[in-house]
Amino acid sequence: MIQLQNVTKTFGSFVAVDDLSLTVQPGEFFGFLGPNGAGKTTTIKMIAGLFTPTAGSILINGFDTTKNPIEAKQGLAYIPDQPFLYDKLTGREFLYFVGGLFRLSKQFLKEEIELLIAHFEIGDWVDKRTEDYSQGMRQRITIAAGLIHQPKVIVVDEPMVGLDPRSARIVKDTLKQKSREGVAVFMSTHSLQVAEELCDRIGIIKDGKLVFAGTQQRLQSYKQQYDGKFESVFLELTK
Amino acid sequence: MTIPVFLHILHYKVVSFLKTTFDLRFVSVVRGLGSLLVFGGFAAGAYYLANEITRYVLEQPKIGLFLFHRFISMMLFVFFVSVNLGNIIVSYATLYRSPEVAYLLTKPVAYPTIFILKFLDNFLYSSTTLFLVAFMVLIGYGSYFGFPWYVMTLIMVFLLIPFMLLSACIAVLILMGLMKIAGKIGFRRVMTLLSGLYLLMVYLFFKFSNPIRLIEETARYYPNVDINLARLDPFFAQFLPSHWLAEFLFFLSRGEVERGLPMALILLLVTAAMVVTVMLVAHRFYYRSWLITFQVQAESNIPQKKGSVRFFDFRKKSILPSQIESLLKKEYFAFVREPGQWIHLGVMIVLITVFVSSIRGLNFVLRVADLPALTYLVLFAFGGFLASSLSLRFVFPLLSLEGRSFWAIRSMPVNLGKYFTSKFLMGFLTVAILSAVVFWFSNIPFVKLTPTNRVLLWFGLYNAGMLSLTMASLNMGLGGYFANFQEKNPIRIASSQGATLTFLITLVYLILLVGIITIPVTGHFDAIFYGRFFPPSRMIPPALVLAAVSLFLTVFGLVVGYQSLKRDF
Repeated sequence: MIQLQNVTKTFGSFVAVDDLSLTVQPGEFFGFLGPNGAGKTTTIKMIAGLFTPTAGSILINGFDTTKNPIEAKQGLAYIPDQPFLYDKLTGREFLYFVGGLFRLSKQFLKEEIELLIAHFEIGDWVDKRTEDYSQGMRQRITIAAGLIHQPKVIVVDEPMVGLDPRSARIVKDTLKQKSREGVAVFMSTHSLQVAEELCDRIGIIKDGKLVFAGTQQRLQSYKQQYDGKFESVFLELTK
Repeated sequence: MTIPVFLHILHYKVVSFLKTTFDLRFVSVVRGLGSLLVFGGFAAGAYYLANEITRYVLEQPKIGLFLFHRFISMMLFVFFVSVNLGNIIVSYATLYRSPEVAYLLTKPVAYPTIFILKFLDNFLYSSTTLFLVAFMVLIGYGSYFGFPWYVMTLIMVFLLIPFMLLSACIAVLILMGLMKIAGKIGFRRVMTLLSGLYLLMVYLFFKFSNPIRLIEETARYYPNVDINLARLDPFFAQFLPSHWLAEFLFFLSRGEVERGLPMALILLLVTAAMVVTVMLVAHRFYYRSWLITFQVQAESNIPQKKGSVRFFDFRKKSILPSQIESLLKKEYFAFVREPGQWIHLGVMIVLITVFVSSIRGLNFVLRVADLPALTYLVLFAFGGFLASSLSLRFVFPLLSLEGRSFWAIRSMPVNLGKYFTSKFLMGFLTVAILSAVVFWFSNIPFVKLTPTNRVLLWFGLYNAGMLSLTMASLNMGLGGYFANFQEKNPIRIASSQGATLTFLITLVYLILLVGIITIPVTGHFDAIFYGRFFPPSRMIPPALVLAAVSLFLTVFGLVVGYQSLKRDF
């Protein structure tokens, strides 16, 4: 479960996230939308422990990310929008590296990595250094690394960027399946279509403030107030 | 080359540089003032030190102008090779791996224009601090002889800068040649070949132009050590730019500038010829060699055979805790798969080996008390300088080299304190082992003077330990504080403004250490010379002062480094 309680993040005088509160329950697929510079990535980086909130608190599975960072991160998978990997490691080595940081056994890792290679159709690329990978291949390795420790919370920033339609389908199915298995998924995306297709609940952020948060049913009723399109709702709310 | 396009790009590069350098935010201003203070202090220190060393060696041991300029020639040679080697490695990143080059190649910009821009970028980036140091040393040296300011400015502009430019031009020519060969025999083999070539060159230089022999001959013929030593000049000296420059300075210091002018002219003409050659070669070959880098990179990344297990393989079980094991293995592969890293360390290790094997044979004829003490202090300073350079090159970039992939560690359940400690220990142990070797062998010739009294040896090792600890922690800490996660090239990280600042701080610390040990060391050699007993307890007070200074800086470095890890990423 993810809980954001009155979270604020400022950079000098600029308020990137302003008193944001929301909860993502286990098994819930939460879509986080907003225009460029609205505060999506800042929020995600705070959840992942890359940024420290200026005020408020974030709890992952009940652990405060500032006070108990290790425990909070133990059940968390963070999948960034830019899949930077250690260039000199092969994909397989990166997966073992991540597994080691989660203190997973070699035997478990060996079996899990083979499953992930097959699942994400990584093939022989897994034994090449990641410096030669395409954006899509990097993204697949990053997502595979995120799932290796079987997390209870997945925080994913723009997962479909650079993926071909087949890979995008695999990722969407995987995230949806994880959500069905009880994992809380927090996904930031610019794709309204993907959000509508996958998410149980959607939040829209503008200038650091949450301007909409609701289930698919609530979104449907909103859409009826306009021309029935999610795009119109989004444009109106973020005007 | 089309001049307007060149100037257009240059204009924006200058604007970008100025905006970055003269950022008016409060934090940046404070940081800038701090840098200015340290750079200013260092410039003043470099001036003072050069002036005092010139005064001391010419007035106390009275080694004479000729010998003094032979030492200057050797130092200039080492300087020339350092600039050359540094430029080869940095040029590879700027000329062949830079995203800016890839971007400009997609635009209607002539290849030679791109080449010149990146060449200048590279030369100025890697040499700015060296310009400052060289100029201040020159002023310190020149003011001893009473050279007017305009003479020193002329020497800087028309001799020292061309001297460095010549080295950089040769570096780029070598690099383009290497790229051509690498296309045929592979990058790894080429780099091994190059390293071998450099080592051979340095070995031959010191074999035929041996500083140890100079010291020994000096001790033997003291005080009649001047022109008589001209016979020690190796035959190839006349072909070296370092010799031309040193010869010019020698004649200038004797007031015979007209005899030195031919040397200056040769240096200028050779530099001009080399610049033209580089431009011609680049015009024909730069773009083709840029294309070769892709081929070389693709060939170097062959997938591992199925079932094969490498040394230190991630799949192997380990007795270490899994997080430490993962971090160590990542560091290991990142190091061994980056030729710039292992080649540089390899070169430094072999240079250290050459140095210690030379120094081991040093045999003093004790006719003057000052000379062993002076040599000891010079060797101590050299050992410290080496530890400082090693730390700067291999410890300072450790955190920056995590690069943009650092998200992985920061978002995973890793204790940052343990992570920082493991990184620090890797850097510290490398520096400490190499420094201990250097300090041990540097002390051997002096121990021979008093075989029964080894206090100097233990004192030297104690100093090596303190020095390595401080150098490593300062570089680790300030490397974290000035971390640049965008830069992938460790040499560029180690040449950044923050790195230069750190280097200057470590040099100030080193000068302080030399000051602290000067009194006991001089006392020790005086006692030997005059046949008196030197109580080892006299080493304790300076050792305590040294420990206090070192530990203070160590704690400062580690705290700064650890705190910087907690910053937003």
